[in-house]
Amino acid sequence: MKFGLFYEISVPRPWTRESERTVYQNALEQVRLADELGFDQVWAVEHHFLEEYSHCPAPELFLTACAMITKKIRVGHGIIICVPEFNHPIKIAERTAVLDILSGGRLEVGTGRSATWTELGGFRANPDTTKKSWDEFVRCLPRMWTEETFAYDGEFWSMPERTIVPKVYQRPHPPLWVAVTSPGTELDAADRGLGSLGLTFGQFAEQEKRIAEYRRRIRHCEPVGQFVNDQVSTVNFLYCHEDDATGRATGRRMADTFNYLAAQLISAREAFPSRSYQSLGLLPQLRRQATGPDASEQAGEGLALGGPQRVLSALKRWEAVGVDRVNFLMNAMEVIPQADVLASLRLFAKEVMPAFADDKPAGGAVAGA
Amino acid sequence: MPTFGTLEVAGVVDRLATMRDLDTEAWTLPGAEILQLAFEVPRATGSLLPPAMHPAIPPYATIWVTRYPESPVGPFTVAQLRLMGRAGAHPRGLVLGAVASTAEAASALRERWGLPAVPGQVTLTRRHDRITAIVTRDGVTVLDCGLIDPEPISPTDVQYIHSVTLARAPLDGTTAPRLIQVDSRYTLRKADRGRPRASALDASAWNAGPLCLLNPIAATVTSSDTDLPRIRFVMDVAVPVVRGTRRIRESREE
Repeated sequence: MKFGLFYEISVPRPWTRESERTVYQNALEQVRLADELGFDQVWAVEHHFLEEYSHCPAPELFLTACAMITKKIRVGHGIIICVPEFNHPIKIAERTAVLDILSGGRLEVGTGRSATWTELGGFRANPDTTKKSWDEFVRCLPRMWTEETFAYDGEFWSMPERTIVPKVYQRPHPPLWVAVTSPGTELDAADRGLGSLGLTFGQFAEQEKRIAEYRRRIRHCEPVGQFVNDQVSTVNFLYCHEDDATGRATGRRMADTFNYLAAQLISAREAFPSRSYQSLGLLPQLRRQATGPDASEQAGEGLALGGPQRVLSALKRWEAVGVDRVNFLMNAMEVIPQADVLASLRLFAKEVMPAFADDKPAGGAVAGA
Repeated sequence: MPTFGTLEVAGVVDRLATMRDLDTEAWTLPGAEILQLAFEVPRATGSLLPPAMHPAIPPYATIWVTRYPESPVGPFTVAQLRLMGRAGAHPRGLVLGAVASTAEAASALRERWGLPAVPGQVTLTRRHDRITAIVTRDGVTVLDCGLIDPEPISPTDVQYIHSVTLARAPLDGTTAPRLIQVDSRYTLRKADRGRPRASALDASAWNAGPLCLLNPIAATVTSSDTDLPRIRFVMDVAVPVVRGTRRIRESREE
């Protein structure tokens, strides 16, 4: 099992000239340490307009900074919004290729489509068509990375024949992933030979069922890229402390803060009824975990919060249900002081990570980097 | 923390509905027809939300016009203007103003659920390519809106957000401004979606001060069996609902 960091870049009010810079600087310091400690990946979201929850609209810049201050850790888009109003496909291909080059072939590319009215409405994107545009984009991207010249005439975008430069550094190309929040999206990932970049928390039984179906389905996929990335990644909170009770209480405060902030977002479904967003997705789940009657029990399942032994046990269960990678949110609204976050990382690397050392290659190695 | 509403409740007490008690019996309301229009609204509408609630990001409002063919007070139609926000982690729509098509319905809605309802003329008209709602009071049009180009969608795609009303409600021997959760149930039978349009909205008639309709989001019209429920949750207007919520009844059936 591999471990990574996952960044939303949440910035608490009041927003001062320095507050956003401080959050970014703290994140970079964490990434630098994580690289030294042997963490495998760092991921950054693409979100727009999500006040306090996420001030990370330009992940390619943050990830480039990460790559420049580290040696081995892989850098991942978690995710790029594949909707034409947000990102033109040519720019996606170009930006990711440059980042792959600058990072020396350490790029992972998650794809998705946004799930909030705040963002979709802000870009005047049509919620009805985001899944279709995502599908079109992910089928184009590997070709744009690898074919000498490329031309395209699709439903959402087109281009005459051009040579898209530069080309990606990894051969054949970086691993591709899909953000999975709504039930069923893991099957979309499997059908296309894409990694499942899980963005939901907890609930072993449900996740085990979905992972098993993903594994079964991807064996018969028609890959959109030049290789199958049959990996399952999930997201978790991490706060590891020598004292289990302190770890749980502090970690719980972080998780509750994150869930409460997430619950403030306007899901696409709340404002704009659409078949494209039939599932309630991540936000209602987090809302229940923030305030529901079963908040403490349900939300606690599988979270990496507490003493090293508790964290290790939770992650061993994730390993047993078939998860290949776990990416950690380590703070929300800076409720945990930076020194404590760094200490948590060090303790995790010392006491927990060795129990998961193995020879299995990560996604980049599968890709032949 | 997310920002909170900045309504000065003392300044609006005089116009709030006064509830007779919190023991309101439920009304079963079969065969309702519900038109809902959603628009983004200005940030300044945070001044209409009580300090217990968070504004939505971005702020948006819904116009809700419902025709009830059957009710304990006979058939009636009610139009509501709701400012959407968050009560803690939960999406909720604060009812800013309401106009009911009969005086009896307006009175019952005020006394039983705390809706700021007043009597007026409310029409809901279905045409081939649009559903329109017009509300007039004393001969003046205070709302003219509609759904344009309806197209069928699955009823399961429609999600109605529960309401809260700000009313003078008796509790523990005192009658004071409180937030009342009105969490109706819906069994949707048919749904169409279209573009929302509003050619007239007199904000003052809806107690909506700085509210104007900006970016249109979506409009739906549905057929549904629904209800007006017994009251379970009452909230302090001045403190965050995660600290100020009082459960006065375990279940809707109690």
